[in-house]
Amino acid sequence: MTRRFVLYETQGHVATITLHRPDVGNAIDETMAAELREACRAVVEDDSVYVAIVTGSGRHFSITDPSARQPAGQEEFRERRVTDALAAIPKPLIAALNGDAIGQGLEVALACDLRIASDKARFAIDQILHGHIPWDGGTQRLPRFIPRAIALELILTGKSISASEAKELGLVNDVAPAGDVLTQAKALAAKLAAIAPIAANYVKEATAKGMDMTLEQGLRLEADLAVLLHTTHDRAEGLKSFLEKRSPNFAGR
Amino acid sequence: MSAFETIILEKSGGVAWVTLNRPRVLNAYNVKMRDELYEALGLIGSDTDVRVAVFRGAGEKAFCAGADLTEFGTAPSQAIARQVRFERDVWQRFLSLRQPLIAAIHGYCLGSGIEIALCCDIRIASPEAKFGLPETGLGMIPAAGGTQTMPRMVGLPRAMEALLTGRTIEAAEAKRTGLVNRLSPKDTIFADAQRLADEMAGLPHQALAFAKEAVRRGMDTTLAQGLDIERTLASRLAGIVA
Repeated sequence: MTRRFVLYETQGHVATITLHRPDVGNAIDETMAAELREACRAVVEDDSVYVAIVTGSGRHFSITDPSARQPAGQEEFRERRVTDALAAIPKPLIAALNGDAIGQGLEVALACDLRIASDKARFAIDQILHGHIPWDGGTQRLPRFIPRAIALELILTGKSISASEAKELGLVNDVAPAGDVLTQAKALAAKLAAIAPIAANYVKEATAKGMDMTLEQGLRLEADLAVLLHTTHDRAEGLKSFLEKRSPNFAGR
Repeated sequence: MSAFETIILEKSGGVAWVTLNRPRVLNAYNVKMRDELYEALGLIGSDTDVRVAVFRGAGEKAFCAGADLTEFGTAPSQAIARQVRFERDVWQRFLSLRQPLIAAIHGYCLGSGIEIALCCDIRIASPEAKFGLPETGLGMIPAAGGTQTMPRMVGLPRAMEALLTGRTIEAAEAKRTGLVNRLSPKDTIFADAQRLADEMAGLPHQALAFAKEAVRRGMDTTLAQGLDIERTLASRLAGIVA
């Protein structure tokens, strides 16, 4: 598929998805949304990809385009939504927030597992300022990620916060100088790609899905996945390498 | 109380102390320790004199540096490994104790160690304590509740990072993110834990148990049901006190 507004490249076990519509701050329109969903499918289907990075071209990660028409009707919302496709990826996802993540852009960041942000970046969920409510997961993910009172304040006021405020809240994991964000994200991706991929996927699944269950159900999911891992080559190799005091050679099976 | 090999269980006043006691291997959690903890937690649960329990590690270096990997891979099959996990469910037993539990953490607190600490209600750590969930680096995932208790304690984004990267978390960061409630110097941490335990042991024990139950069960359900649980427990308590 030729993509206009989403760039996709893989290097080793890491795929990088770049939102690429820099003249409008990488605002997500219908075309970009379709291309992003397709890139997500590529990440899922390519067995050699263990980890994916999502980033933006130019100054911004992704911001709101105030001149864009809001979706009307179920069908149009479906065409513009992207976070279901991101959240359906079982592999670790890193958001490299090279610049502002506003509105749906922040919702995209929230659908990733780890976030590294530029020290200059600002974050807001600004839909309320345009007479709308967040519709790509923001009202659900934000209060699950940061204290509820602050999530509500951000959703109700649309106000923006700085990278360091986001770090304090735990909303981003790390802050880096603007020019270094992608480099740092790639270094982190390389680290994650070096661990056993099935274990990485299972730990993501147990943690993310478990938060949606009672503690008891979550504990059972974790135990089941832990036992299922006993069947993998990589777990045996991990143990063996530890006891032999050497680095493991994971094979992804 | 019975004598154990891998742990020490002591009781003074209303406070039980459980010391993980394999200091030569940084108190690594093994099958024997699992069985003994299972028994000790049962004793604590049924002992109405125990108002508060404190967990700590023996020796200079660690609370508990994780599971004893030399014993891994010995289960005859996956089906049996799973069966044993649920039959000797130390973690469910931990989480179902009605008394407040304190972890007094010095040194390494990794893997099963942090998972034990996360089963407690209050964590005190010394400034040189180190936390981490390094399982994925060995092709494994935590299996003592870490993927569930960690995000519930520090939030999903921070927990996801700790679990995916396995990186070491220093005590100061643990304090900042709410993973531990307070820091206390290594020289006085056990005395400080004792003081906190004594304070809580002096409070009405039924109120403590109900407060813990309301929070734990309430966080696991809808707000409306949580409020119901709170009302029911508060009025039961009023009935007991009156």
